[in-house]
Amino acid sequence: MSSSATAQAASAAAGAASLSTFDRTTSRWGQGTMVAALLLSLAAPLYLVLTQDLGITGNMIWTAYLAVAAAFFVLWFVEPLTYYPVLGPAGMYQAFMIGNIANKLLPSALVAQAAIGAKPGTKRGEFSALMAICGAAMVHVLSMLIFVGVLGTWLVSIIPADITDVARLYIFPSIIGAVIVQLVVTLKQPRVTAIAVVVSVLVLFVLVPAVPALAKAATGIVVLITATLSWFLRSRKTQTTPTALVN
Amino acid sequence: MQTELTPQGASTDILAIANMPVLWVLAIGVFAAIIVQSLVYMRAAKKAGPAADITESELKVSFRAGAVAAIGPSLAVVLVSIALLTLFGTPAVLVRIGLVGSAATESASASLAAGTMGAELGDASYTQAVFVVAFLAMSLSGAGWMLATLILTPILRRGDSKLRTVNPALMAIVPAAALIAAFASLGIAELGKTPIHVLSVIVSALTMGVCMLLASKTAARWLREWGLGISIIVGLIVAYFAHVSGMAPAA
Repeated sequence: MSSSATAQAASAAAGAASLSTFDRTTSRWGQGTMVAALLLSLAAPLYLVLTQDLGITGNMIWTAYLAVAAAFFVLWFVEPLTYYPVLGPAGMYQAFMIGNIANKLLPSALVAQAAIGAKPGTKRGEFSALMAICGAAMVHVLSMLIFVGVLGTWLVSIIPADITDVARLYIFPSIIGAVIVQLVVTLKQPRVTAIAVVVSVLVLFVLVPAVPALAKAATGIVVLITATLSWFLRSRKTQTTPTALVN
Repeated sequence: MQTELTPQGASTDILAIANMPVLWVLAIGVFAAIIVQSLVYMRAAKKAGPAADITESELKVSFRAGAVAAIGPSLAVVLVSIALLTLFGTPAVLVRIGLVGSAATESASASLAAGTMGAELGDASYTQAVFVVAFLAMSLSGAGWMLATLILTPILRRGDSKLRTVNPALMAIVPAAALIAAFASLGIAELGKTPIHVLSVIVSALTMGVCMLLASKTAARWLREWGLGISIIVGLIVAYFAHVSGMAPAA
C-alpha cells in the first residue's frame, strides 16, 4: 500500500468517526432538549390544575383529552413519518419543538442549501439545513419573545375591554374559516373534501341531535368515518403525492 | 354546565390565572431548551464540518440564509399569536401557538376540549376551569407529536424499511382526510351558533380565498404566509361591527 493511500484511508476513518460523533451528540442533545420542552410544556397546565381551586376532575380531563386525541392521533404519527426524509434525525428534534415546519423551516432549509449550492440528501445538504433551522429558530424565538411576549402583552393591556371581549368571542370562527380554505386549496383533494363536508353535516346535524350522548365524540367520529370512506372511495386512476401538513 | 366547579373555577377572568408568573417561567424554559439545542447543534456542525465537506463560512452563510428566510413567516405567526392573547394569555400562546403547535391545531384542540365541558371559547361559559382543561388538552395533544417524534426518529434512523414503505396512496389520502375532516367538522359546528359566528366563518374563509388566489396569480407570494393573520383580522373587524350594530344576542 502506498503512503498516500494509507493517508487517505486514515483521513476517511477520521471523517467517519467525526460524523458519528456528530450523530451521537445531536441525537443525545436533541432528545434531551425535546424531553425537557415536553415536560415544561405539560407542567404549566398541570400547575394550574393542582394549585388552583377550580374543581376540575380527572373525568373532565380524560373526556377532553379523548376528544382531542380522536381528532389528531393520526397526524401525531403521520407528520414525523412524512418529514423524516427531508429533515434527517437531528432536524426532527428541532422541527417538532419549533413548529411551523412546512411554512417556515423547510423554506429556510431550501434557501440555505441553494445559497451554498448543496444538494438535499447529501451530508453537505444536511448540515446546511441544520444551520438554516438554527438560524430560523433564533429569529423565531426572538420575535416571539419581543413582539408577542413584551409588545403583545402590553398591547392587549391598553386595548379597550369591549374590543378584546369581541376578539375573544369570535377569534375561533375567524381562524377556522380561513384554515379550512387554506387546507382545501393546498391539499387539492376535492373528493376527500366533499366526503368530509357531507359526513360533518350528517354527524353534526342528524346523528348528534338524535343521540346527544355522542356530542363529545362528534369530531372524532367525523375523522374516522371520513378517513375510512376516503380510502375506500379513492380514485384509483390518478397518482397522488403526500402533501404539506398543519404544523 | 358542570355543577362541581368551585366559585373560582366558574370565574371568567381567564387572564388572572393565564398570566401567572410560574407559567411565564415555564414558557421561558421551553424557549431556553430550543436555544440550548441550537447552540449544541451549531457547535457539533462546526466540529464535524470538514468530514461533511462543508466549510465554516458555508455554515455561517446557511445560518444567515435560514434566519433571513424566517423573518416574514415569524412575523406572520406573531400577528396570529397576538390575536389569540386574550383567549389563552401570553405564556400559553408563546408555547402552544408560537412554538410546538400552530394556531390551527391548538385553537381546534381548545375548542374541542371546551365543547366537552359544554362551553364555548370566549363567551360567558368560557370559565377559568374551561381554560385550564383546554390548555391541558392542547398540551397533551402537542405531547402526542413530540412523543411520536421521540419514538419514531430512532427507528427511522436505523433505516427500518417497513416504516418507509408505507403505501404511498395511504400516506396521501388518510392524513389529508383526517385533517380536512377535523377542521371541516369544527367549522361546520360554528355554523350552528350565532349569526355573527356564521358571518365570521364566511368572511374569514372568503378573505383567505382571496389571499390564496392573489398568491398564486400574482407575485404576492408572501400572502401565503400572511393569509391566516389577515383573514383573522378581517374576520374580527367584521364581527366587531356586526356585534356593536346589535346583531348579537343579549349576552
